[in-house]
Amino acid sequence: MWEFVNYYFIPGLVLGCIYALGAIGITLTFGILRFSNFAHGEIMMSGAYLTWTVMAAFTALGAYFGFSDWALHPLIAMVPAAALVILIFLATDRFFYKPFRKAETIKVVMASFGMMLIIRSAVQVIWGPNQITFVRGIAKPNATLSEITSNMGLQILMPNKHLFIFAGTIILVVALGYLLNRTRIGKAMRAVSDSPDLAHVTGINVDKVIRATWIVGGICAAAAGVFLVMDTQMLETTMGFRMLLPMFAAAILGGIGKPYGAVAGGLIIGLAEELSAYPWIGDTPLLSPGYKTGVAFAIMVVMLIVRPQGLFKGRSF
Amino acid sequence: MKTMTFATAATLLATTAMADVNIGNPMGMTGPIPDLVAPMAAAVDLAAQNINDQGGMFADGQAFNVVRADSACDPVAAVDAVTKLINVNGVSAIVGPVCSGAAIAQAESVSIPAGVVTLSVSASSPAITTMEDGTDLVFRATASDAYQGVALAELAIAQGMTELAVSYANDDYNAAIAAVFVEAYEGMGGTVTANEAHEPNKASYRSEVATIGASSENLALFSYYGSGGITLMRNALETGAFTNFIGADGMLSDEVIEQIGAENLGTTTFTTAASDSSTPAYAAWQAIADAAEVPASDPFVPNSYDATFMMALAIEHAGSADREAIAASLRAISSAPGEIILPGQWAEAKAILAAGGDINYEGGAGNQDFDENGDVAGNFSKSTVVDGAWAAELIQ
Repeated sequence: MWEFVNYYFIPGLVLGCIYALGAIGITLTFGILRFSNFAHGEIMMSGAYLTWTVMAAFTALGAYFGFSDWALHPLIAMVPAAALVILIFLATDRFFYKPFRKAETIKVVMASFGMMLIIRSAVQVIWGPNQITFVRGIAKPNATLSEITSNMGLQILMPNKHLFIFAGTIILVVALGYLLNRTRIGKAMRAVSDSPDLAHVTGINVDKVIRATWIVGGICAAAAGVFLVMDTQMLETTMGFRMLLPMFAAAILGGIGKPYGAVAGGLIIGLAEELSAYPWIGDTPLLSPGYKTGVAFAIMVVMLIVRPQGLFKGRSF
Repeated sequence: MKTMTFATAATLLATTAMADVNIGNPMGMTGPIPDLVAPMAAAVDLAAQNINDQGGMFADGQAFNVVRADSACDPVAAVDAVTKLINVNGVSAIVGPVCSGAAIAQAESVSIPAGVVTLSVSASSPAITTMEDGTDLVFRATASDAYQGVALAELAIAQGMTELAVSYANDDYNAAIAAVFVEAYEGMGGTVTANEAHEPNKASYRSEVATIGASSENLALFSYYGSGGITLMRNALETGAFTNFIGADGMLSDEVIEQIGAENLGTTTFTTAASDSSTPAYAAWQAIADAAEVPASDPFVPNSYDATFMMALAIEHAGSADREAIAASLRAISSAPGEIILPGQWAEAKAILAAGGDINYEGGAGNQDFDENGDVAGNFSKSTVVDGAWAAELIQ
């Protein structure tokens, strides 16, 4: 029982949180700008690299002033990094996507594919192709949590990094909910997502909405990238690309243009990937773990056939 | 930036000059094992430098150019890179690719159809031994894992591991060595409690290690460190599923110590292709490598030097940079009979060849005598963590 919770369910949720945050950006771009942004994974990756750089710079600064133990928590270092990620997003939009705004979708999709390669190569030039250690060593389970839960007859083993990832995801999703439901710009974003022409006619400033989309997507992408490296504890230039396809699956599962759908989709895909390897029947894994990537795509394909608009009634194509 | 552009332009001009000898060198500069590949590429460049410093190619001293491309340790990238090297750069032969999957893919779809010789520096999959059908174009300067898998199984038994679980990445190199290992280990009386593939490049392997971890404390891990190996080890240690690890070349990197920490690696042993450091050929290689500050004993670094040097010798022996004669010449210069040539002795070899004599190259990595399949014999070493760094010891 506790083996199931600790080794399958919690890791599935962690992965699901990362997919969910990435999928929010993808689904918003898809819903509002109407193209699938292939560069989203690379934006996540560059957010993680920028966060690492901020942390390393802070430690170096500490050493310069004689404080050898200065260390910045990734969740704090993420703030300036997210600002830079938003700038990258806005710059790519201004110079690479805006010229294609009125053209066929395929052109801007190709432009985003090009951006993906450009950003990855730029990161390889700046930071090198080698892996970078984010946090050294192995993460032991949080002792306080294990003690409290064992007093209650439970046995939860979670390292601190996973607690931070859960907390960060919850805060971001609640903030996103507030933005979309309670603020003017959030309502405008939803309106443009539902019908851009109608929104334009009613006087909504579409350019402003597009900027807001990139900002929200940028924050979520930077957070997803940082949570990913907090979990894997290393930086690597293709890590964003590897997450891209499951994130697309999550966005489609939840319904295109539906941020809450993306969150639900991300959690479902993350859980499905990890739980598919649990020995549900007998002692052998239900599905060899070597094929767990396929689970995300199987769900996506079935969803597209059975219910193309997704769980939350997004747009269907 | 401007100087870089000029440098690139200059390189392009140099490599396309007609009178030079060009060989293609696809290496996994990016991808899952860049740390391992960087010193290997340095060894290739060192060999080219030695050759050019000692009179270059042929009687008129043509330059020996290495045209490098990034094969990224990936079959698709390797096919692209080698297609460009053969069709655009017009290279005479291929020295490289690093990874077995990349080497097999590029040989099957590009270099064999084009009739170009491939001399891989480190591709060790047993599948390469038998991949050719009627042609004699694929060679390698490192021993097949058909031997390393057995050596690793012997090591596991010697360390008292009577049972273990196996996890291997789903690619040509790792799946092949895992299969050889499992067969040899079971043949020696060991028990494999679980044997599962894992998909490379996942963010988490917790369910994988939980699935196979209930059965044993020992894990035989076949993976590339940069595409999941480190993450899988970390997850295994975090969840307490495994404490003892054994594995092969793909995991032997300083990155493993850097990221996981030496204190967690007390009972970890990885094997790799190694050199017998007591031979005169190794002493000659070490002198050259030390002078150039290339790490002489790092995995596949002597093999990379040997491969480049032998390719140059073969082209010199053939008397022209034409692709056809290179395979036969490669066999002629590497095995007896002939005057023994050690690493760095380019001028001597050139003089003997000019006089019509025979040579027999003995490399830092081994004697480099190709058998009928283009394979060489080799030695292996085991590495453990001592004082925070890998310490290698030759397996006898």
